This record gives sequence, structure tokens and C-alpha cells, in this order.
Amino acid sequence: MTVALSDPAGVIAMRRDRVTLRKTVVSCALLAVTLLLAVILLSLVGSEQLPVRSSLCALLSLGTSPCGLSQDQFDILFQIRLPRIVLAAAVGGSLATAGASYQSLLRNPLAEPYLLGISNGAAVGTMVALVFFGASEWSRPVLAFAGSLLATLAVYRLARGRAGATPERLILAGVIVTTFLSSVIVFVTTLMDATRIRSFTFWLLGDLSGTSKTLLPVTIAIAVIGAVALTLNARSLNLLMLGERDAFDLGVEVGRVRIVVFVVASLLVGSSVAASGSVGYVGLVVPHLARLSLGSDNRISIPAAALGGALFVIVADTVARTVIAPRELPVGAITALIGAPLFIYLLKRA
Amino acid sequence: MDVGGTFLLAPLLKTKSLPALVLICLALACACHRGRSSFSDLTITREVIDDAGRRVLLPGRVDRVISLAPNLTEIVFAVGAGDRLVGNTTYCDYPPEAKAVTKVGDSLQPSLERIIALRPQLVLISTASQLEVFTQQLHDQNIAAFVTDPHDLDGVFRTIEQVGQILGQTQQASALVKKLRERTNVVQQAVQNAKPVRVFYQTSGEPLYTIGKDAFVTDLIRRAGGVSVTADVPGAWPKYSNESALAARPQAIILPTGGSMGAANSTVAEALRNSPAAVAGRVYKINDDHLARPGPRLVDGLEEMARALHPEAFKQ
Repeated sequence: MTVALSDPAGVIAMRRDRVTLRKTVVSCALLAVTLLLAVILLSLVGSEQLPVRSSLCALLSLGTSPCGLSQDQFDILFQIRLPRIVLAAAVGGSLATAGASYQSLLRNPLAEPYLLGISNGAAVGTMVALVFFGASEWSRPVLAFAGSLLATLAVYRLARGRAGATPERLILAGVIVTTFLSSVIVFVTTLMDATRIRSFTFWLLGDLSGTSKTLLPVTIAIAVIGAVALTLNARSLNLLMLGERDAFDLGVEVGRVRIVVFVVASLLVGSSVAASGSVGYVGLVVPHLARLSLGSDNRISIPAAALGGALFVIVADTVARTVIAPRELPVGAITALIGAPLFIYLLKRA
Repeated sequence: MDVGGTFLLAPLLKTKSLPALVLICLALACACHRGRSSFSDLTITREVIDDAGRRVLLPGRVDRVISLAPNLTEIVFAVGAGDRLVGNTTYCDYPPEAKAVTKVGDSLQPSLERIIALRPQLVLISTASQLEVFTQQLHDQNIAAFVTDPHDLDGVFRTIEQVGQILGQTQQASALVKKLRERTNVVQQAVQNAKPVRVFYQTSGEPLYTIGKDAFVTDLIRRAGGVSVTADVPGAWPKYSNESALAARPQAIILPTGGSMGAANSTVAEALRNSPAAVAGRVYKINDDHLARPGPRLVDGLEEMARALHPEAFKQ
């Protein structure tokens, strides 16, 4: 009897897991298809008007056939526009994934790379790389990673009082780290020569136009590996949302999960900031949207946030590169313009 | 000031020495009246209008000048008034004598305190350094500030003449402008029959920045026998779309680099690597100090640009 009693529980749990898995696969497949469509459709939009039919044909042939596009048009599509859109997707995915996992680990709906000062840490790392190792492109993501990891640890240590890390304390720690690092940025900017300040300020607000051919594959790889790694820890993160002690009692290796999230999320933030500056609000708005529409199970919301973040930044960057064409806006201005009101709406609704 | 004065006067009030008191009051009043830029206040004889449309009151002879931009420093020296420059910026490195002048900060963050301490009768400002708020602060301190804002080569010549007039060096300034105009005419005549070259002017590669219709370089390129492919873009120094730059199919790319810029901006933006200009090897590096500073050396930049765009026109 006892065996018969415990069996149904196991079966129910397994069935529930299967339902979750199906829901994850279906929602992620839908988002992935939307993302792919967005990549193709938004590749047709830009400051230069390309022939739609030929561009579509060239895109669907994966660049093997020019389909009647001139060499310049072909280059615009495949050397400039598409790499930029792919970078936008990688950056958006990275930031949203990082945001979603911080929010679960720290049990704080406001935990976001930008608000916690982690993006600023990565920005300081990138600046140091630019000023001292300007020649080496690789120094940028490496030092950005170091910067975001240090900022993460600083915020975490500051937030942990005797009573543990309360949500208010965490946000306060984030504000302190953000403002401190902002002054470091201002200080270093002041030391730069005049001609570089403007382009640097633009980069700081989030700019995807400087897509580096060498770093693009790395940024994509980190985005994908990071999203997969954090999704694999989603079950532990679910339990951590109950509180660290409860999670520990339920068999979660809290310390290990914390280190994984800190390192992987710092890697995600570091690589996206090194590539595109600080694009704000992505890590806040997208995970919230994902949880509101698909529930707070991290096994669904983390991969969904990754895909949704990619979609969000692709759309925002299309606005940034077309709205005052042929001039451009920093994409961070657009994500903030869309993100802040959207977030207020979500807060009011929730 | 008032508190301190009353405190010092206290012993005198007790001694009832009225004449002494009156004298001290007078002295104090004079001191207050003299203010910070003392002699200029007392000897205002001229009023000039600057490029920002502001009325600037000046004494008959200006002996103490501060320049807040490298091009203005070059102009002051070029019209023969370098010895009256009591302050300039850390960017001011030409002519070599300019380096020895007291520094008041850089063009973007000058120190108001140090400027006041140098008791200038006039501060020369370039709007390129975006100092509107700072100009107001100088005005509040009773320090005359003259704002320059040339948008083309003629505007630069006008600035040179204005600075010359203000400093009482009218003849030198006119002679200089005459010489510069002659050199400009030589260049323009040499290239006038050549087919204009379509030029992309890259001020920064990543992110991509260029010149718009308000930049004096746009006018310079036209005079050098070229046409800027971004001549119609609003603004002076816009952030530009990579794909539009490539689609414009520039025949030549100019990289202002070197000089005080060092090695910065010495390579073509990745997006333009396959542009007709880069493929044909028509990428020209020109000393940034000759192109970014609207002063006398702008004509050097013009000559260098024309020789790069139309080498055939200068074969003797």
C-alpha cells in the first residue's frame, strides 16, 4: 500500500514535469519562429532602401546568391545589417537571461544588470581595456567580464546584512555601486581627449553600430551557452525563490548555484557591454513580461526571456537606426524609452 | 566682506576719528567698484558683436587675453598678439610658444577660478567647445567673452579679422587674411576644371562619425575640388549610419588623424572596407590639427586635401 501510495506522487510529479517541458518547448518554439521572422523582416529595413524581393531572396539563399542585388546592396545586407541584427539579438538575449536569473537568485523583481550597477562595472572594465590595451580587441570582453563580476560581488556583499539580503538593501547596494562606478566613468572620460569623448558617450548609452567581426561569434556563443547553462539551473533557481534555507533543505547546493549564476550572468553582461555599451531596461522588462505571460517557472521563463530579449533589442535597434536616418540614435535610449513606460504599466497591472 | 569690514572698523568707531572713517569708506567703495576686471570696467570704449549675437564691451586696448580653444590661440599668435595671451588650454600646442602660456584647463572644462585669477580683459571662446553655460558664468563675473562660430572658410577669415581688430592688430590680420585668400584662390583655380571627387570624411570609425552641412570642413572639401557625400546631413558632426556611408559610394575617404589626435582614427571603418574609395586605395590621412581647428592652418589642410584629391592638378 505504501508503495502504491508513493507511486502516484512520483507519477504526478513526472507528469507535471512533462507538462512543463511541453509548455517550454511550445512557447520557445513560437518565440524562436517570431525571432527568426523578425530577423528576416527587419533586415529589409534600414537607412538605405534595398529592393525587397531581391533582398528576401538573397536572405533565404543564406547569402549564396545575390539575387540581382548590386555588390554594395549585398554588402549592406550581409556585412552591415545582418551582423548588427544578430549582435542585437545576442546582446538582448544575454541581458534578459542575466536579468531573469538575478531576479530569481536574489529574490528581487528589480534585480537587473543596469540597476544593480553590473553593467557599469562591465563598462569600467571596457574603458580600462580601451585606455590601456586599446590595440587588443580581446581585452575588452575579458576586462568587461572582470568588471561585471567584481561589481556583482560588491553589490552582493553590500546587500548582505545580518538579516540577510533584503530586497531594499539589495537595491540600495545597487544604487551605491551604480553611482560610484558612474563617477569612475565620468573621471576616466574627463581624462580622454576631446575627440574621443563624444563617440565614447554614444557607446556608453548603448550602440550596436560598431559590430566587430572578430568578437561577434564570441558574443553569440556566450549568449547561447549562458542561456543554456542558466536554464539547466532553473530547477534550483525555482527552489531558491522559496528562500535560501528552504532551498538548502530541499537539497539545492545553494553556494554552487550562486557561483554559477554570478559567473555566467557576469559573462553575459560583460560580453554584451563590451560589444554594445550599456543597454538598459532589457534585463528588467523582458523577464517580467515572460513571467507575466508564461508563469514564474524558471524552466520556461529563462529561455523565454532569452528569446524575448533578443526580439526586444532587435526591434529597439531598428528604431534607433532608422528613425532619424541616415543619422543614428543610441539603442539604449530607445530601450529606455520603451522599457520605462512598459515597466510602469506592468507594475500597475501586477 | 561686509561683516569683515564692520569688524575692522569697530576700533575706529570708538576713536571717533571721522575723517579716517570717511577715507576708509571711500577706499572700500573704490575697491568694490573696481571689481575683478578692474581696468576694463573703467575704460570701456568699444562695443563689438560676437558670432553668438552677444554685445561685448571692451576697453580701447586689450592687453590680457585668454583663449579657450586651440584655433583661437593660433589666431592670436598669427595676428601678432601672442605676447598678450595670459592663459590658454591644454589643447593649445601651436605655435610652440603657446605651450608655455598658463593653462586654464582644457577646452571642455576650463577653470573659472584660474581665469578670474589671471584678470583677463577678454576671453575668446569657440562654440565648438560647447561653453554656453560657461560664457554666462564669465558674463556674471564681469569678464568680457567673445564667442566665435565660423561655419565655412570665409567665416574663419572673418574670425581672424575680428580677433585682429579686437586686439588692435588690424593690419597684421588683414595681411594674413589676404595671404590666406591668395593661397585659397590658387588651390581653387587649380582644381576648378577637375571633376569633383565624392568624399566621405570620417571623424571616427567605430562608432562612425562624419561631417554635416554645418561643418566648415564641408565647405573646405568643396573648395578642394571634392563634394562631401554627407553635405546635406543636418548638424555639424553627426553619428552616421554605416550602410548609408557605404551606399553613398565615396570615391575618396579622408581620415583626419595624427597631430594632437595621435594614432586615433587612422584606419577606415570596417563598414567602408569594400567602398570604391578603399578598394581603389584612395584613403587619405590628413593632419587633424589642420582640419579640425578653424584657424590659419585650415588653409594648410585645404592645400593638403586638394593635393590628395587632385594630384594631377598640382604637377608642375
